[in-house]
Amino acid sequence: MISYIIRKLLYSLLIIWGVVSATFVLTSVLPGDPARMMLGQRGDVTSVEALRKQLGLDKSLPEQYGDYLQKVVKGDLGRSFATNRDVLETIAERTPATALLAITAMLLATIPGILIGVISSLRPNSWLDTTAMSISLLGISMPSFVVGILFVLLFAAGPVFDWMPVSGYVDRGWEHLILPMVTLGIRPLSIIARVTRSSMLEVLGQDYVRTARAKGLSPTTVVVKHALRNALNPIVTTVSTWFAALLAGTFFIEMIFNWPGIGLVAISAIEKLDYPMIQGVVLFTAVVFVLINLLVDLLYVFLDPKVKLS
Amino acid sequence: MQEPIAEPVAQTNAQRPQAESLWQLSWKKLKRSISAMIGMYLIGLIVFLAVFADVVSPYDPNRQILEYAVKTTGFRGNVIYKKNPSRPDEPHPVAIASYTLRGDTLQYTDLTGGTYAISVGELYGTSESEWHDEPLYVLGTDSFGRDVLSRIIYGARISLYIAIISQVISLAIGIVLGALAGYYRGWVDDGIMWLTNVVWSFPSILLVIAFSVALGQGEWQTFVAIGVSTWVDVARIIRGQFFSLREAEFVEAARALGFGPMRTIFRHILPNTLGPITVVATAGFASAIVAEAGLSFLGLGVQPPTASWGQMIRDGRGYLAVGSNLELALYPSIAIAIAVFAFNLLGDGLRDALDPRTIKK
Repeated sequence: MISYIIRKLLYSLLIIWGVVSATFVLTSVLPGDPARMMLGQRGDVTSVEALRKQLGLDKSLPEQYGDYLQKVVKGDLGRSFATNRDVLETIAERTPATALLAITAMLLATIPGILIGVISSLRPNSWLDTTAMSISLLGISMPSFVVGILFVLLFAAGPVFDWMPVSGYVDRGWEHLILPMVTLGIRPLSIIARVTRSSMLEVLGQDYVRTARAKGLSPTTVVVKHALRNALNPIVTTVSTWFAALLAGTFFIEMIFNWPGIGLVAISAIEKLDYPMIQGVVLFTAVVFVLINLLVDLLYVFLDPKVKLS
Repeated sequence: MQEPIAEPVAQTNAQRPQAESLWQLSWKKLKRSISAMIGMYLIGLIVFLAVFADVVSPYDPNRQILEYAVKTTGFRGNVIYKKNPSRPDEPHPVAIASYTLRGDTLQYTDLTGGTYAISVGELYGTSESEWHDEPLYVLGTDSFGRDVLSRIIYGARISLYIAIISQVISLAIGIVLGALAGYYRGWVDDGIMWLTNVVWSFPSILLVIAFSVALGQGEWQTFVAIGVSTWVDVARIIRGQFFSLREAEFVEAARALGFGPMRTIFRHILPNTLGPITVVATAGFASAIVAEAGLSFLGLGVQPPTASWGQMIRDGRGYLAVGSNLELALYPSIAIAIAVFAFNLLGDGLRDALDPRTIKK
């Protein structure tokens, strides 16, 4: 078991190294000169050259890569071109807002999602199942920014309903959380419902479920204790992957609802071509994603003795 | 029933029970799925609109009549076309309140109330039906006085075009990497899976954005950005298929015949993975449409004045806070939702239909 955990940790480190390298390649090897971008229109040749030297851009690529690796290990992601603030500090400051949104949206998605999936699986191809699955397919099909825009149109903009604030953060009242949370939750909710349904359908066809039924156990016991418990693995994977993805940033929703999280930082960095900030956010979100998946892998070991340790 | 005069050869052929391929069986099954057929017809409609946009769309999507900025759904305009001195083949539209024609002189009142008289020679074309028009804006106009319906139709073209090419890129990368990993296993597999996991760790939209920032904005940058960011699912599925197929007897036979690995991979194993590839490509199409719309919603991706749904939502979003002209954001949103929904409906149907376990005669 210990060796399994160590192997997982080492592999995650290997992935993180890949992520750091990919981020470096993405911003350094591809066209575009950061020094020129930083100075913009006012940059004459000498000041661009000076800045290149200062940023270490005059060194060879392998040297730059070495410098970058060293800095990242020390937690130094550079300073923003736009605000001249420390990138990691800015990201850390915005994390709580994104985390609040991600956690509440996942709560909203997970519980009803599993419930809908289980109910659908108990009466496959009934009108209830067909309706639920069609609506969930529509839920999967709607890009988050489209859902966000439609919600604002319906519930906040006025002509239909005027119940919700158009945008803003919870420091101005908790009602600001509702629309972004629901918008964000719809896709994972739909996917969790569908994954739960198909996983349940597979399990419900197994012999041990038939045995449990034949024993005369109550239907609730059979469904919850025998079926759902064994159908849980793919559901947990879906929930954790989505949670990791949401924590990594909810760009469009934060943009639409002006929610001061990591996504909003990323969007404004993109608009200003603030390279270090973009690089920082990309790196941060990918590392968070890797770490959460690692955590879930390790949790499996403790929760589910069936997990193969090979 | 056989005709008695039919030749014997034809008879035996017709009497032999038809062996149906997986594809024929799947097609039968797909046809029975109402939702998949709805998806298919919707896709057919979108493809039709995209291909024949020049014919179908009521107006040039980039024609601006600034006097008609942000008009509501069903607005009917009143314009005369003047000759455009710099571009002789392109009429210059002028919004008017009314006009009277006296001999060779046209007197018109514009929307500010000013009255002008011009000679008929300054007008575009010769007959009244050529230089006068009452354009109907079925879905209204945007802030530049452009026809929203025409822009949505041309938006379908850009959307499909980007989706097709980005999916070709994504499939090419995914199939090659997945096939190599699944066929060779060992360190090749380890290396490719490492790369796959690294790419998978980035939220795909962020990766698309990062590529698009690095490459710059435009059409080819957009499909390259989407293509190189979305091959992970393809690679994983192909790898899984190759894992099981490489032990199959027909692969052993190919090896025994002395065929090289490339021929075995691409001529023998790959054709047997076409089912899963079709499913993953259909789903990938939907994600590519979303990614393109997302990029242009952020102002990256395809640049104005090219009509694109994401860009239209971006423009319409400004009106949400004001609470007026909400349909500017609504219509392109509906267009995206329908397009993505259609591909997902078909993809879902294909997944069921191509699953050999579920095929029944």
